[in-house]
Amino acid sequence: MIDLQERFIERRSFIYRLFIVYFMFGGLFLLVLYQIFQLQVANYSEYEIAALENKTHEMNIQPIRGVIYDRDGKILVNNIPTFNLISIPNKVDDPENFINNIKNFIDITNEEENIFYEKFKRKARYNRELVVKTDLNKQQIASFQVRKHNFPNLFVEKRYSRHSDYPNILSHALGYIGSPSDMELANILSEAIHPRQETIFSYANGFISGKSGIEKTFDDSLRGDFGEKIYEVDARGKLLKEISHIEPSEGKNIFTSLDLGSHITANNALEGRMGAVVAVEIDTGAIVTLFSSPSYSINSLSNGISNNQFDALIKDPKKPFFNRALKGRYPPASTIKPALGIFGVQNKLIDWDFSIDDPGFFTLPEDGRVYRGWKKGGHGKVDLDKALIVSSNTFFFSLAYRSNIDDLAEHLSKFGFGKKVCLDCFDEDEGLIPNPQWKRNKLNSGWSRGDTVNLGVGQGYMVATPIQLAYYSSILANKGPINELSLIQNTTDNINSSMHFDNFQSSDWTQLHKAMTDVIDSPAGTSRRLKDLKSFQVAAKSGTAELVSLDSKEDYLLIRENETQRDHAIMIAFGPMPKPRYAVSVVIENGESGGAVAGPVAIAVLKELIK
Amino acid sequence: MRLLKFKRFNFFYDPYLLISIILLSFIGLIVLYSASQESSSIIIKQSIFVFFGIILMIAVSQPDPAFYKNISGLFLVSSLFLIVLTILFGNEVNGAKRWLDLGFFTLQPSELVKIALPIFLASYLYDKSLPINLKDTIFSLLIIGISFRLIVFQPDLGTSIVVLLAGSYVLFLAGLSWRFIGSAFAIFILSLPFLWNNLLVPFQRQRIATLFNPDADPFGTGWNITQSKIAIGSGGIFGKGYGSGSQAHLDFLPETKTDFIFAVIAEEFGFFGTLILLSIYTFIVFRCFYLSFNARDRFCRLTIGGLSLIFVTTIFVNLGMVVGILPVVGMPLPFISMGGTSLLSFYIAFGIIISMASHKKLIQQ
Repeated sequence: MIDLQERFIERRSFIYRLFIVYFMFGGLFLLVLYQIFQLQVANYSEYEIAALENKTHEMNIQPIRGVIYDRDGKILVNNIPTFNLISIPNKVDDPENFINNIKNFIDITNEEENIFYEKFKRKARYNRELVVKTDLNKQQIASFQVRKHNFPNLFVEKRYSRHSDYPNILSHALGYIGSPSDMELANILSEAIHPRQETIFSYANGFISGKSGIEKTFDDSLRGDFGEKIYEVDARGKLLKEISHIEPSEGKNIFTSLDLGSHITANNALEGRMGAVVAVEIDTGAIVTLFSSPSYSINSLSNGISNNQFDALIKDPKKPFFNRALKGRYPPASTIKPALGIFGVQNKLIDWDFSIDDPGFFTLPEDGRVYRGWKKGGHGKVDLDKALIVSSNTFFFSLAYRSNIDDLAEHLSKFGFGKKVCLDCFDEDEGLIPNPQWKRNKLNSGWSRGDTVNLGVGQGYMVATPIQLAYYSSILANKGPINELSLIQNTTDNINSSMHFDNFQSSDWTQLHKAMTDVIDSPAGTSRRLKDLKSFQVAAKSGTAELVSLDSKEDYLLIRENETQRDHAIMIAFGPMPKPRYAVSVVIENGESGGAVAGPVAIAVLKELIK
Repeated sequence: MRLLKFKRFNFFYDPYLLISIILLSFIGLIVLYSASQESSSIIIKQSIFVFFGIILMIAVSQPDPAFYKNISGLFLVSSLFLIVLTILFGNEVNGAKRWLDLGFFTLQPSELVKIALPIFLASYLYDKSLPINLKDTIFSLLIIGISFRLIVFQPDLGTSIVVLLAGSYVLFLAGLSWRFIGSAFAIFILSLPFLWNNLLVPFQRQRIATLFNPDADPFGTGWNITQSKIAIGSGGIFGKGYGSGSQAHLDFLPETKTDFIFAVIAEEFGFFGTLILLSIYTFIVFRCFYLSFNARDRFCRLTIGGLSLIFVTTIFVNLGMVVGILPVVGMPLPFISMGGTSLLSFYIAFGIIISMASHKKLIQQ
């Protein structure tokens, strides 16, 4: 037993030591309290957001793409419902067995099967749906419906696909849609409400974006804005209930300036030959026809096409994907002659009374090189009027010979050559107006007078696209500048007033129009055979673009054996005269005679537009 | 001090501790109902534990402290024996053998050692003169070491550290010489690298590393602590409301019924809720503080001091883990977390505290 004195010391020591321990715990208590305060009060909002992000799962809802109309309100591209077979992987125990059971009554391709297995696990884990097969037909739907009770994990639901009633006719103007590239997808998602989330697809083929044509140019407004659905989720990502739902705002409809009838006419007239037809409403600059042949089905391209079919399209020597209307580079050939005539008059190199003798060829004084016309023996005495009607090469060779190349090149650019002429076309080629500087840079050789002479008949280095030719034709028809071309109605673009044709008077224009009308109406006109096809007066200029430079007709008959080396047939036309409303350009590759081959197409399209 | 005299027997109790522990137990049941996703079977089971726990606590309060002094050796030895049995025959869960299946109840003997060790040391040291001499110190350390080592062997690092602390508290309060404390502390600091490399298994080291950088792997090792902090923080000042904690109810928060139940309280009742809970704990601790000063003898003083410090330690290890300032070790929140042996061991501990505090030595007048 310890004594009282020691008991006192012991008790004091105990209290003292207990204080020390409690003091340490007091510090710990303050630390814990401080930490709780930091979490719950000081940084509350940060953790509130974190908890909210934890328990919510946002899904974008894909909007329905806008409908594309023609100028009369006819639907060109629409969304049509398709019926998809959709599974609930969460309720599927054995995916292979599951697919085999479906195969008993609906064909599942190997590709569809592989996609299903690939996505199965993830979708099952998060209890999301998974499309097994898209675009079921009525029979497939029916055969599923009768077996529905055996498949609590399978249902048929409506999704959309992009569809045109004229899949091959407006292919190049409208373009097609497809799965976006990674960059496009990032762009699409940046406009969605939630940056990187799952999406509830309205389309059978998921994310879509315009790949070419109007679908591409107007992709942003056609697409619309994503809606969103917010779900409550648990820690495993399982959707528990819907918290909020914002409907997507659907894509805007596009009212184009395109005329369906003229495309059908052009399609029928070209009969699958390689070529292009472009027509413009002169007053507005609206493109009413933008046709390229041959073409492809935008329906199959938009909604899935097999690799074989796609390869066949890519490898087709006729290049159906190539939009000749916007990107085909053709020598304008004789269709350039009216522009040359205007240049000559403006620069007082010639006037309407000036004439030369046409022996059928032009000899370049410098080196004696001979430039031939199309008619052996020539056209005799020709003035500007006759030179246009009979398409005298000699007249324009000599006019070009006397022209300053830089002035001439600048003059041609006023007609839209060598630059883009359309405000909203997809991937338009600029064509080319050659000049000395270009030749030095590109070909590393000096400009010769012969190059200028060739330019006088639209041959040589110069190339123009059908849409440029149509624009050029419109300017000729309008007796001056027109609006920049557009595929959309009611563009309020103002005429570029800086472009003038000084020293080319109203009377000069009248004479030019008369000459171009006589290309068809005059018995001597190069396109006189078209006279009976039309029901109104049409001004025109034909052209035959030589692909191979030859000295004689005999030589041509030899190379003509190879179809791909035959001349391109070109026609520009506008009507009805004397107050033209539409201007048109037609190019038919290897079609040979511009007046005889391209001419009827131009007339048919104009007739369709004017009727 | 407090006793009701009945005809045949005296009833010993401490009203402050009884009321606050019963209050805590009810709070625990209420929170557990929410934390268990409104599982009535869990609540019924826990209610039975709480009911018998309170009965047990009151029953344990009745014997005179001398009884505990006398049986302390037997209590410790049998508890350690149970641990040996556990290591030999226990249920293996996640590679650890901590439980003995008794059919109706799975016993965790290490929880008993937590109480038995301080009582035994108090009974051993109560009559030793100050400062404790080397022989007694070594004997005490030996006992502590054996208990600690057996539990480490299970392995159960959390409980073993608490047992180590429980023994150390009593040794310290009993008057361990400062010189010894100083040199032991120096040895501890020097041997830290050794302990880190040899005592801790990789996952334990990982947990400590996670503490200092939970964002390094928020979906892996850092998940528990990250989600716990989100739960607590998003509770704000007033909480999300009872049963409305999204972290707890959508499974983001781990171990809601046991180790992380404090995060459920913090999420659903906010800063106010946590303050109320901490106030009750603080009240109990201060009451024990007071009782130990006024205990009738040195044995009671040491026992009350040692047991109440285990209680405090358990609370802080749990809170420190849940709020992210201590590594994750399995440690329940006393009287709140669901659990069998650990809950019952605290009822027993407080029963003994009440016994020590309410039995006064009969002083001859």
